[in-house]
Amino acid sequence: MKQKLMWIAWPSFLMAGVLELLVFAVVDPQDLNWFGHGFEMSRQATYSLGFFVFWFVTSIAGALTLFLSLPANEVNRSPL
Amino acid sequence: MSDSKPTQLKGIPITVSSAPIEPPPGADAEMVSLYQAHKKIYPRSVSGLFSRWRWALVFLTQIIFYGLPWLEWGQRQSVLFDLGARRFYIFGLVLYPQDFIYLTGILVISAYSLFLFTAVAGRLWCGYACPQTVYTEMFLWLEKLTEGDRSMRMRRDAAPWSVEKFARKAAKQFLWITLALWTGFTFVGYFTPIHVLASEFAHWNLGSWEIFWTFFYAFATYGNAGFMREQVCKYMCPYARFQSAMFDKDTLIVTYDRERGEPRGARSKKADPAALNLGACVDCSLCVQVCPTGIDIRNGLQYECIGCGACADVCDTVMDKVGYARGLVKYTTQHALQEKWNRSQILRHILRPRVLIYSGILLAIVLAMAVSLSLRLPFKVDVDRDRGSLARIADGGKIENVFRIQVMNASEVTQHFHLSVEGLPGLALASEADVSVESTQSRWVPVRLQLPYEGADPGSHPIHFKIEATDLGKSVSEKSVFIVPR
Repeated sequence: MKQKLMWIAWPSFLMAGVLELLVFAVVDPQDLNWFGHGFEMSRQATYSLGFFVFWFVTSIAGALTLFLSLPANEVNRSPL
Repeated sequence: MSDSKPTQLKGIPITVSSAPIEPPPGADAEMVSLYQAHKKIYPRSVSGLFSRWRWALVFLTQIIFYGLPWLEWGQRQSVLFDLGARRFYIFGLVLYPQDFIYLTGILVISAYSLFLFTAVAGRLWCGYACPQTVYTEMFLWLEKLTEGDRSMRMRRDAAPWSVEKFARKAAKQFLWITLALWTGFTFVGYFTPIHVLASEFAHWNLGSWEIFWTFFYAFATYGNAGFMREQVCKYMCPYARFQSAMFDKDTLIVTYDRERGEPRGARSKKADPAALNLGACVDCSLCVQVCPTGIDIRNGLQYECIGCGACADVCDTVMDKVGYARGLVKYTTQHALQEKWNRSQILRHILRPRVLIYSGILLAIVLAMAVSLSLRLPFKVDVDRDRGSLARIADGGKIENVFRIQVMNASEVTQHFHLSVEGLPGLALASEADVSVESTQSRWVPVRLQLPYEGADPGSHPIHFKIEATDLGKSVSEKSVFIVPR
């Protein structure tokens, strides 16, 4: 289980870093309209929270990959 | 175990089949882990040529890492990645997000350097410069300082808790945490001026993101260098998995001279190995004890080997002691070992197509980057058409188009700019033509262009803005369009 968590958390951490770099190099969060109005958080806060959002989303992708790669008999034996 | 009779699982009648798995002796037959249980590795400290090189690299990289944020350049920190202001300062260079191409260039250069070094001399990066290795080396040194070397640590860990054990472990934790916090602090000091950060910490002004990231990075350092260690290289590092793609038989790697070493075995110092039918390996197992990833180099090249050369160092000391020639475990190529090449023959085989191609690409990118950086103008310009209106009629029946020009000053002095336009006869600026932009700032300048009535046919006409930096005598030209309504 611990190893599986690492398989999810670590590659998604790396990819979240890449996303962070790509997105915030191009986008200045202060220039954006968020739901129709400006954004009150500081840039640092947006970058930091953005990183965790990216990490969360990429880790879901990793978790799904791991989940879908379970062989049939393992799914039958223990659905979760 | 391999039954396939229908069973009830959560109330659903299904057939559960499973492949027969033999449990290892002594294991719980119900719970068979397919993964090897992790055994803690106690690397023994080692001294020698490769170890000296590693320490030299530890000092070099860490003096730069810990020292650089404190270095001043004029009125500011010499290297500062100011994320809040979206400006990167690297000595005299001020980079905007628009300079992303240079970051890409640096990443490509790093990748090709890694390929080149790996093709020539194996995992130099892993063994000497990777932060994982460097911090593990530092943490191991602190561990040795407080808890002693391998055998003492193993004995103490096996022994029950005592005052001495607790005191030594506490001292180790204190040193580790201090070093980790200092590392986290330094890391954040690259993004927030480190003097500001220091005073924030001094006043315990908690609650900011800087402090969060300091602890985050400190925790990562502590965990990776103190506990994860070789597991990062073995299970987490993608490079470790594909580095063999860069290897060939002329790549320098840490190798055991099987022909000379086998058959291995213990013997008395005076005994003649030939008479006992023994090779040079005395089977002292020191090469395994010093290995930071816990492998036996005598089993051949393995992906776990980070090329640190600790086994070569320790084997040389053993060979000296028993009076045999050094180099039973040595840094050499597979070809050299097979063909018994000498040093100059190995060197001659460094220049091979793979190495030449990597070097050629690397050289080309470095040159392109150097040229681009030296030709880079210390200002940037962006032209936007006003989104509100295409064209309008101004006083005197003139046709007016409105633009916004962003002028970015990528230098640390105030710059003055003169705007002009060309492309249509009679086209002229109706707004301020001279602007000044303060050091490292950017400014949106509203620009109105006017064309005499019937100065051009209806439609869109290409025009060029010329933005001249009067202090530098340099100018850039930006394309746009002027729209004449029907």
